[in-house]
Amino acid sequence: MTPNPPHYDTVSETPRPPGTLDAMKRLWTPAWIARHVAMVVLVVGFLGLGWWQVTRAAGGNALSYGYAIEWPVFAGFVVFVWWREVRHTLRKGSPEPPATPAPPAAAGSAPPTRTPGVRRPVRVTRRPAAAGADDGDLADYNRYLSWLNANPGARPGDYPG
Amino acid sequence: MGGALTRYRVIAWIVGVALVVLVLIGMPLKYLFDSPTVVAVVGTAHGWLYMLYLAATFDLSRRVNWPLQRMLLVMLAGTVPFVSFYAERRVSRWLTAGRQPRTPEPVAG
Repeated sequence: MTPNPPHYDTVSETPRPPGTLDAMKRLWTPAWIARHVAMVVLVVGFLGLGWWQVTRAAGGNALSYGYAIEWPVFAGFVVFVWWREVRHTLRKGSPEPPATPAPPAAAGSAPPTRTPGVRRPVRVTRRPAAAGADDGDLADYNRYLSWLNANPGARPGDYPG
Repeated sequence: MGGALTRYRVIAWIVGVALVVLVLIGMPLKYLFDSPTVVAVVGTAHGWLYMLYLAATFDLSRRVNWPLQRMLLVMLAGTVPFVSFYAERRVSRWLTAGRQPRTPEPVAG
């Protein structure tokens, strides 16, 4: 860890959560209304198809039991994708989290307004890698680690590499 | 990205073959020759495999940051016989053409 400069400002880096009204506006554009409508139509349609298969299964078509399960799963998938897009849009509008996390040691003079989240410690090897060693896996892993470090709050599953 | 692309390609190929078998072999057998066995087996399997296809496509699109529309189009392409093969080729070309060479970069510290 590098020592923190004394003038480190933690307050200005604390992101403010977006207002509810602002968020609602962002989800009420024509493109988003179309998405909401499509989601509702698809979910209702898929559930209707599922119910149709339930009636067919009750009528003696054994094959329909499987489809009666599959259609609700597809409907749930639609809701999942829709919800993920909503979350994505809301997160995109909010201010970016700071590239360097506010260290708790620097906040001795002014109490931090927000408790910094507990994150995993970053392990850095003490032994320098041999010069010229072209370890592709190690380089990949190092790139992954630096990406994680540059994107606090990101989950490992978000890694684009 | 490599693993997700491979998963997508494998399941896309399996679903595409199952769909072609279902449409070209199962349907004629069932409706022309009154023999529904192939449809019963392949149809059920295809339904469940298509779920895996959706999951793999979703995972891939999330990793490579596709827009929503492209993800939905690729998912829909898996429901059309033979078009799924074309979509798989197209997706693979998209993702491998723009791939940057893997140059290692040292991590600070």
